[in-house]
Amino acid sequence: MSPVHFQPTQHPQLLALLHRILERIQSDLYEAVGLAITIHDRRRDEHASVIAALGVGSELVGAQLSGLGGPVADALAYQVPVLSLDLWTDDRWPQLTLDAVSERAPHHTDDLEQLHGEAAVPGVWADDATVAVSCTLSQPASAATVASLITYEQLVSAALITTAAENATAIEDIITVLQSRGAIEQAKGALMGLVRCDAEYAWRMLRRASQEFNVKLRELSVALVEHVSGARPSSPTPEHR
Amino acid sequence: MTNSQFRLTAAVAEQSPVVTATGDIDLANVGEFGDTLTKAAAQSDSITVDLSEVSYCDSTAVRALFAVAATTKLALIVPAEGPITTLLGISGLDRVATVVTRN
Repeated sequence: MSPVHFQPTQHPQLLALLHRILERIQSDLYEAVGLAITIHDRRRDEHASVIAALGVGSELVGAQLSGLGGPVADALAYQVPVLSLDLWTDDRWPQLTLDAVSERAPHHTDDLEQLHGEAAVPGVWADDATVAVSCTLSQPASAATVASLITYEQLVSAALITTAAENATAIEDIITVLQSRGAIEQAKGALMGLVRCDAEYAWRMLRRASQEFNVKLRELSVALVEHVSGARPSSPTPEHR
Repeated sequence: MTNSQFRLTAAVAEQSPVVTATGDIDLANVGEFGDTLTKAAAQSDSITVDLSEVSYCDSTAVRALFAVAATTKLALIVPAEGPITTLLGISGLDRVATVVTRN
């Protein structure tokens, strides 16, 4: 026996939260040209569909799901994170070409031309119901792109699970987790701007400072971002805090 | 010698640290696998992970490997074929890590 079926698209608050999460990912990954959250609920015998997107995320994932294949389709099918350095030339999806996608989304050709890499990270939010968080970049995707999405996928899955359980208070807890995790990424970004170094170097500096002064990386990151920006690290819920 | 599934060989001179995994890697022990990777990455800017004696691994191991590759140069030693090699190909991890095949 299954209870009344939960459909994410019927929960405007959940969709608003997912949209905020995508905005948050975009501020972490500033080469992002498109972001999407795609769900596949096999219990309803439905096709996978995009429930939240930014930039060209919706068009690009739509094209992949329409039969061209791609990282999001494979992440959902195999339940494993998928990375591509360059979507249009990746030998895993010979049909996924700039021409084929442009044909399906003619108004987005300019954005599509800038695309290089993509990463997609899957999760499970109910028996036989999966989700993929994906990001397309104007640069090749890296392991760091995947690592960043892994953090957010946990949040997205948790949001879906808790909304499905109609437990609104838990979402606040999840946002708190996001805040502290995001601080480290923000600190890295701040250092990259300050010292004009790459992400790897910024990460090493942070880690070394954390060890040297025996401060938790998270606390150091929050302090650094406060110092650089004169403000607390941005929160996805500014209106409540 | 411990009977741990994940053995860390510390960096020696020019040699980067090596994590040698055996048996199955899944949800039950991926935490320990991730901890060992993190420990190795803290010693050096590049690490080698030997998966040639791993009998089974699922997407949780792939996640842990992506996470460590985000901050460290990663080299993987894998069998010529099998589930691990397939997973590397599907995930594209083989495009951001150096993959060495061992028969």
